[in-house]
Amino acid sequence: MISLRQLTKWFGAQVAVNSLTFDIPAGQIVGLLGPNGAGKSTTLKMLTGMLAPSSGTATICGHDLLTEPMEVKRKVGFVPDSGAVFESLSGLEYLEMIAALYGIPAEAARERIRQFITFFDLSFETLTDKLLGAYSKGMRRKVVITAALLHNPEVVFFDEPLDGLDANAAVGFKALIQTLAKEGKTIVYSSHILDVVERVCDRVIIIDKGEVKVDGVPADLVAAHHASSLEHLFTDLTGGSDLAQKAEDFAKTFRS
Amino acid sequence: MSEPAPSTTRVLRKLYLTLFLRGRTSRGLQRSTAPKSVVSKLAVTLLLYTLFGLLALRFQTQGVFMFSFYMHGMTMLFLGMFIATSSGEVLFNKEEGEILLHRPVTPRALLWSKISVLLQVSLWLALACNLISFIAGAIGENGSWMYPVAHLVSTAMAALLCAGGVVLMYQLCLRWFGRDKLENLMTTTQVLMTLGVVAVSQSMPYVMATLGTTGLGSREWWLYLCPPAWFAGFDEVLTGHGSMSSWILAAVAVALTVTIPGLAFWRLADGYQAGLQTLTESVPRRPRKEGKRRWLDGWIDSPPLSWVLRDPMTRAGFRLTAAYMFRDREMKLRLYPGLAPILVMPLVFLLQNMRDGGGLGVVFGGSYLALLPLMALNLLQFSQQWQASDVFRAAPMAGPAPLIEGARLAVLTLLVMPALTVLLLGVLFLIPGGESKLALLLPGLIALPVCSLIPGTVGKGIPLASPSDEAKSASRGLLVMGTMIAALALGGVALVARSGGWYAPFLGMEAAAALLLYLVLKRIVRSTTWPPAE
Repeated sequence: MISLRQLTKWFGAQVAVNSLTFDIPAGQIVGLLGPNGAGKSTTLKMLTGMLAPSSGTATICGHDLLTEPMEVKRKVGFVPDSGAVFESLSGLEYLEMIAALYGIPAEAARERIRQFITFFDLSFETLTDKLLGAYSKGMRRKVVITAALLHNPEVVFFDEPLDGLDANAAVGFKALIQTLAKEGKTIVYSSHILDVVERVCDRVIIIDKGEVKVDGVPADLVAAHHASSLEHLFTDLTGGSDLAQKAEDFAKTFRS
Repeated sequence: MSEPAPSTTRVLRKLYLTLFLRGRTSRGLQRSTAPKSVVSKLAVTLLLYTLFGLLALRFQTQGVFMFSFYMHGMTMLFLGMFIATSSGEVLFNKEEGEILLHRPVTPRALLWSKISVLLQVSLWLALACNLISFIAGAIGENGSWMYPVAHLVSTAMAALLCAGGVVLMYQLCLRWFGRDKLENLMTTTQVLMTLGVVAVSQSMPYVMATLGTTGLGSREWWLYLCPPAWFAGFDEVLTGHGSMSSWILAAVAVALTVTIPGLAFWRLADGYQAGLQTLTESVPRRPRKEGKRRWLDGWIDSPPLSWVLRDPMTRAGFRLTAAYMFRDREMKLRLYPGLAPILVMPLVFLLQNMRDGGGLGVVFGGSYLALLPLMALNLLQFSQQWQASDVFRAAPMAGPAPLIEGARLAVLTLLVMPALTVLLLGVLFLIPGGESKLALLLPGLIALPVCSLIPGTVGKGIPLASPSDEAKSASRGLLVMGTMIAALALGGVALVARSGGWYAPFLGMEAAAALLLYLVLKRIVRSTTWPPAE
């Protein structure tokens, strides 16, 4: 479903993503993990056509990212970590606009929007009366997630999707992506919340400095690296092993 | 049967028109109230443009060319200003990339829909500006029934050329200078374009006066370089008054109206996505050499600034304001074009009054300069990152006074001082016997510290604490007009005092009043409390 070959991105003289190569089959939920600046968001932005790769190729649903970008964009949904929306539109105006961009007829779009607001426990009045600039962070995130799924994409990329969601919405969201995967959709889930990734994802790819460090089923990876949890494995691989000592040193600055 | 989805271009056009009318950001707005206020603002703007068009009546008795030249000149200046200030945000918006670049939207559709909205609004403004001229050109002394038709076509062409010219400039910047420099280059281009438009608009009356006395019969060579003359030639040809030179000018108008927008909207459209992608990239800056400090830090930590900025809160306010003045794209695009009239006017005054000794120009130049901090602080209160100002409230400060003072000092040091230096050089080198005229700057200089305190006393002096969309409020236009009237009044009184032989007592009285006001305003600023949080 997703296939990357030597995908690379340079920003000036700095390599952000270095020769990423992996395949993700349909129906799999893949956790993309890495510390800040590891290249996760850049990878997702390249795979969604937001950034042009410096070299390498990728195909999504059989379409080449470079030669068939519009076909790829029709097949994917993306929840960016910024949660950016057009703030001066109401929630309904925003979602109807997004639906129209995918060629969804107005009536069908309205019906899908109703299903999503029921799922996310939003009121229709809020969606019609308030402009998005007045929404809370969580409500805005729900609208962004809805906007990513409205066109029933075959592949969905989530970049920190739980940011701002309340506990109930987060639980509901986790159930939703598992359901989507069961229906054959491919999910790429980038997050810093490791225990959620461990519970939800069939497979994790940890990247650091733009390169794949490990790739596999979470439990297998933990066992293979003799780690007690995915969190320990992550910190070992990405240079975060002496965090307790760093915290102690930090606290010392206040004592002196 | 379900209604089919509209085309992508139509959806995007509707989106951009809505965003234009409502603004791109909002806070706490209900849908029912948001658009209404913006539409009413637009209606007021169109009315103002129509009223500006009344100036056309002054040239009604002139021939078709002169009348059209003036109308096109005025229209293109207004449109140029509007397009230069709007297009940066419309064409290259960083957040928009996150929302739209992963959707099935072609760069061409994206560019086309933006341009069509930009053109649509430009046409509204151009038509409002020319409404009176359509009638005056038809029934005036040299009127012709063909004039409204010809002028309507040429006005639409002029709007197209303005929009095409600005878009082409951005596209070429992107192509020639590459993505790394795009953002800074765009900001600089836009600021320079606005300054240029303001400078030309302020010189327009002078040019018109010169043309009025010399006449246009000989068609001076430089007219062929003036865009308004091309379209005036077009009007002249279509109304049947055209000479050979009119035909040449009309041909230039048609050729450039086809070529420039053609290049901007068609040929270079495919590179547009690359420009948008650039804005979503985080290009790492070249690392600073170890031990090398930013110039701003060096200044702040050295005398005399370090003496003035002893209070750490004031120092923080200074540093924050200065950093945004020089680094933040959004701030630069609002601040410098917003200040352009105040920055350009003193020099225009000097140039206009060079021949008659320059006294008038020096007085008015000084008075205008006094208003610079007032305008600058008013603009510096707005930021896209206004929510970050919560950090001020969380800090153990009784009120915003130190921040207001820091921002005020930043404006005085980094904007007013350089502007004053340029003005002094202008007086010394442009005005005959300039040294003897320097005293005429004093009325403005005495008023300067008081003016710099005014924003802080009316809750407008806290840097970066208000949403940037509020900067578009119609009241800012009124503030500009108010400050200009105040500057002219101060300069006028000073001139009367000078010609009446009581200039020194006048300065003494002004200084005493300024000192008293300064102390009172300073006290008010010190006791200012935080405005209620949203």
